[in-house]
Amino acid sequence: MYIIIVGGGVVGYHLCRALIDEGHEVLVIEKDAKKCERFLDELGSICMRGDGCETAILAEAGASRADLLIATTNEDEDNLVACQVAKHKFNVPRTIARINNPKNEKLFKRLGIDCGISITNILLEHIEEEIPTHPLIHLLTLPKENLEIVEVKIPEGSKAVGKAVKQIPLPPDSLLSLLIRNAQKPQVPSPETVFKAGDRIIALTSTESEQALREVLTTK
Amino acid sequence: MKVVIMGCGRVGAQLASLLDAEGHKVTILDIDAYSFRRLPPSFNGTALVGDGTDEDTLKKAGIEEADAFVAVTQGDNRNVMAAQIAKHIFNIPRVLCRIYDPLRKDLYEMLGVEAISPTIVFAHLFKERLEAGTKAKT
Amino acid sequence: MELEKILVPVSGNSADEETIKLACSLAKKSKAKIYVVYVIQVKRSLPLDAGIESEIKKAEDVLTRAEDIAAEEDYEVETDLLQAREVGPAIVDEAMEREVNLILMGIGYKKRFGMFSLGMAVPYILKEASCRVMLLREPPP
Repeated sequence: MYIIIVGGGVVGYHLCRALIDEGHEVLVIEKDAKKCERFLDELGSICMRGDGCETAILAEAGASRADLLIATTNEDEDNLVACQVAKHKFNVPRTIARINNPKNEKLFKRLGIDCGISITNILLEHIEEEIPTHPLIHLLTLPKENLEIVEVKIPEGSKAVGKAVKQIPLPPDSLLSLLIRNAQKPQVPSPETVFKAGDRIIALTSTESEQALREVLTTK
Repeated sequence: MKVVIMGCGRVGAQLASLLDAEGHKVTILDIDAYSFRRLPPSFNGTALVGDGTDEDTLKKAGIEEADAFVAVTQGDNRNVMAAQIAKHIFNIPRVLCRIYDPLRKDLYEMLGVEAISPTIVFAHLFKERLEAGTKAKT
Repeated sequence: MELEKILVPVSGNSADEETIKLACSLAKKSKAKIYVVYVIQVKRSLPLDAGIESEIKKAEDVLTRAEDIAAEEDYEVETDLLQAREVGPAIVDEAMEREVNLILMGIGYKKRFGMFSLGMAVPYILKEASCRVMLLREPPP
């Protein structure tokens, strides 16, 4: 693949190294002369000096034959514009933008960026996984279907404890898929299954119903 | 008409005071309060410190009731991002933005943002004046 | 200066002929090997291994002429055609790979924006090459 990386900062640099190791053809576009020199010294002629949001620079970079453009600068507006120019002017089939302000994640999606990656949100997800008291963990997002697979832990004292699945007012677009209880074999919960404290539920839910699902299972 | 202007540079301040003098309801945004010194003392509109690429700031500026949004900061990318938020998130009927890079003007018009490139406008203006001057001489 | 291998980059400019002649006279004493290289700079809009016929034709002509000039001097040179994104790094790499003792380059007297200019490749090679470098500059026109 031919991959263009806009921004030769820390993220761009390490991404570039990793992609070269995977055998891809990589070009980094960076404004700062010093940063460009580092690429040239360490990795050879794979860096171009210029503004990766400018049409003329992207043309010179051969964006029209690129398979992927990744914008990694620490300015969201620059990442947005680099991706939009690549996509609409040069028909780059896939664009990925680094998102610095997590508020912009939804916005980028609405403005047609294929994939926006918010470091803050990724860190948050990891915190959820690493901290066991967190009642809901995101396991997987299916963006096309607008569905998420989540893990919910039934806490001690939750209203759901002692109740059967059918007695719980589950949001309509969520589905309890699996119940994991201590050392037992995971089972598919039936309407008659009664919740115990400490149960872990793997559930499928729409993004909108995530909050409601969490509440019916974990509220005390 | 209610207008939100992002960027209180020379152009932003000038536009704000022109619209204000004609009785329009103007809110002008800038990330630096010092920029508001460019507004005339007679300015009756609202001046707000804040980043126009931030949805919450735009809401504070009353974007939801605005008829028009104009982005005239120094940065092309900031202008274009704010303009797209105004157009596609807040559905503002009239959105204008300044973009210096002439090559990108058409692209943003394709994406539904009306862009004016001072680079193109001035080059043409100077050329016209030059030609007019030469004709007058000959 | 002990010479075993000399690298002579050529580009089809006015200095090529004198540079090759000089390389031959330097090489003769120690029967050093001469590698004449031409670097085709490939635009980013094309893959690095793209076959740009017009460029290849030009390069081959320049290299053939280099062989002819050397033959007139009664010396034999080895020629090589490289494709790279940037000329400077390509020549430095080639010099390293072939373990040459000397890079001998020739340039015309060029002006850019009204000022004397060495271009991009020459300063890079002077700065980065790990072997000796000699530069032959043609007299101003």
